[in-house]
Amino acid sequence: MPIIAGVDIGNSTTEICLARIEAGQVKEYLASSIIKTTGIKGTTANVPGILIALEEAVKKSGLSMSQLTEIRLNEATPVIGDLAMETITETIITESTMIGHNPSTPGGIGLGVGMTVAFAELGVQAAGEKVICVIPKGIDFEDAARTINQAMDRGVDVQAAIARQDDAVLIVNRLRRRIPIVDEVTLIEKVPLHMLASVEVAEAGQTIKTLSNPYGIATVFNLSPEETKMVVPIARALIGNRSAVVVRTPQGDVKARAIPAGFITLSGQKGKTDIDVEAGAAKIMEAVERVQPIFDVQGEAGTNVNGMLERVRQVMSELTAQPLADMKIQDILAVDTFVPQKVQGGLAGEFALENAVALAAMVKTSRLPMQQIADQLTERLKVNVVIAGVEANMAIRGALTTPGTDKPLAILDMGGGSTDAAIIARDERVFSIHLAGAGDMVTMLINSELGLNDFDLAEDIKKYPLAKVESLYHVRLEDGTVQFYDEHLPPQVFSRVVILKDTGMIPIPADHPLDKIRHVRREAKKRVFVTNALRSLARVAPTGNIRHIEFVVLVGGSAMDFEVADMVTDALAEYGIVCGRGNIRGTEGPRNAVATGLVLSYLGKEV
Amino acid sequence: MSQEKGCKRMQINEQMIREIVMQVLQSVEQPQPVKAAAGGRAVKLVEKGEARPGTKADEVLIALAPAFGKYQNKTIVNIPHSDVLREMIAGIEEEGLRARVVRVLRTSDVAFAAHDATKLSGSGIAIGIQSRGTAVIHQKDLPPLSNLELFPQSPLLDLEAYRAIGRNAAKYAKGESPTPVPTRNDQMARPKFQAKAAVLHIKETEHVVQGAKPVELSVEF
Repeated sequence: MPIIAGVDIGNSTTEICLARIEAGQVKEYLASSIIKTTGIKGTTANVPGILIALEEAVKKSGLSMSQLTEIRLNEATPVIGDLAMETITETIITESTMIGHNPSTPGGIGLGVGMTVAFAELGVQAAGEKVICVIPKGIDFEDAARTINQAMDRGVDVQAAIARQDDAVLIVNRLRRRIPIVDEVTLIEKVPLHMLASVEVAEAGQTIKTLSNPYGIATVFNLSPEETKMVVPIARALIGNRSAVVVRTPQGDVKARAIPAGFITLSGQKGKTDIDVEAGAAKIMEAVERVQPIFDVQGEAGTNVNGMLERVRQVMSELTAQPLADMKIQDILAVDTFVPQKVQGGLAGEFALENAVALAAMVKTSRLPMQQIADQLTERLKVNVVIAGVEANMAIRGALTTPGTDKPLAILDMGGGSTDAAIIARDERVFSIHLAGAGDMVTMLINSELGLNDFDLAEDIKKYPLAKVESLYHVRLEDGTVQFYDEHLPPQVFSRVVILKDTGMIPIPADHPLDKIRHVRREAKKRVFVTNALRSLARVAPTGNIRHIEFVVLVGGSAMDFEVADMVTDALAEYGIVCGRGNIRGTEGPRNAVATGLVLSYLGKEV
Repeated sequence: MSQEKGCKRMQINEQMIREIVMQVLQSVEQPQPVKAAAGGRAVKLVEKGEARPGTKADEVLIALAPAFGKYQNKTIVNIPHSDVLREMIAGIEEEGLRARVVRVLRTSDVAFAAHDATKLSGSGIAIGIQSRGTAVIHQKDLPPLSNLELFPQSPLLDLEAYRAIGRNAAKYAKGESPTPVPTRNDQMARPKFQAKAAVLHIKETEHVVQGAKPVELSVEF
């Protein structure tokens, strides 16, 4: 009665399946275990992790290590991915021509047009002058209001104000006539004086109408058609704001500049092509499809893209102790994204969402040093260790234990670093493919689009649903339902958007509403997982047409995600494909496919 | 060695206490409410009888400790109470909410004073402030000794911080998620001000009235 352990070393987890074999059949599955992979997949640093996982499984089943007959390792696919992000646009304001930082509490409502004058000069303005008052730091709100009131009483037409401190509402509340005021302008001393300017503040919950419209600006400043063309970028930069200032300066402008990001050269079976990174993700992926399968990708020397591609090669070369020149990048996935970046020349620390391209690259080499792992395990445990079969074949065998599946069957293994697809035909032939981009890329997108600068937090946002703490006794969940608590929640989560982890709530420090975080999370998942699901299935489909696949089983870590599986199922339903999360052995869910397949492969050998 | 060090600290403390006791004795000799501190804006706090619970969700309560602005007129670092109160009210007003000021008499503990006020606050949010300057933002569902934000190092709080405390309290009342008020931290603040803080607290506690209800105040600058 041999007892077999299947050991699957993955990028992020090491999984074990322990089974008792009798008369060429699996008599009984004894135990499964899963732990975090130690070290980089396919290196001897994995051994401690394997030992811990084995011990756990053995303990669960009530056996001892010496009772193991054989340990079967997967021939881990030597795939490693890396990620990079290239910002490809930048916004520059020249001559301080606009202020669009959207302070949370501007004052007053409406549109004011006039000459900008310093606060100190307000007393000497003649009656009837239309002015916009620029209030520097250190002026108390009561003093500011009194001075403006006095000027108004003298007949000066104070149309609006721009303030350094967070005082807009306080000043407006003390004025006899309400005027629009934009506050919290940090570099107020740089606001050009004695220039025609316009200040607009919309009602709470609304956005400005005049200064975000090129014709609106043209009306305010009496612009010619030629000049109106020039203000389009200004208007565009102000769309969606509740308040804004536009100053008419001789050369003032807002530019959205493209940053040269360099090009990449794709060499594939169907030719070679160069593509500019700033062309965007769609163009890059088009080029990839045109030449696929890819043999190698090179970046333009001296660019960030090149640095990232070289880094992937370097890591892989060190890992496998093979020459750097042999390291070929086999796939890239480009995704359009945006990054909040500080606007150059801004007076109030304005941020603009700049376009960026995120790239995932993947290297595949001939073989990882699996034999070393096997040797070390044999030495430590005195058990026969076998390297059995290719990972994809094992995964398919495991996936076929899902109730309701049959050959031909495709599996989609969505992991952390790569998305793998494999298909088994009726005649047992297996064909598999590895593509760049998976869970880690989603985390990167969430991290940059929300401007978190905290990879662990982004990872948690990816993995768990959100809620808004509305009082200390109840939260509103993502779908709008309310959950009550008997005990009060910890005060640090009060009124915050939180991540509902099993270990408790984690408050998100950034000032984003729940809907936005949810949107960013779901979009990131769609752009990576749905794109890669379609891309990889099209490649393994026997005819190249995704419609000719009937059954798809989702396995791997990212299939455990609370929404990815549904998104992929939904997307594939359009092609008439039965797709769902795997349920390995009817008990394990999408986990343990490869480990189970390894045990099953022992039977084939024995017979 | 350590004993010697301890003695040295004792010395400093003794010296400090002596100085402070002198100051305190001077001020204690005038038992009546004090005038506005030098440099501060004049403020008139008129007592309007027992404070009633509010029903408006747009109000934030400010709970003054028994001596604040009445028997004492400046914080531990000599910031006039009138200016402290004005900045907190301004912070609340800038966010579009209203401030209501009450005086809590039954305790001089900042957490309990604030917590008493949360029960009167239409939004359930209140700020508590002691004469020496220690402040807290509180919420009605929390236990008294918990809080939303606590500012225990009164010597490090300036007018900007009080404005920010008012602003954050208003944001909590609106259901927003403000970034906690950034406060400085100074290891020396505690040893340097410990004795003075203790004396100021004793002075505050002298004016506690057992079992008294909070008193509504009208504030005029």
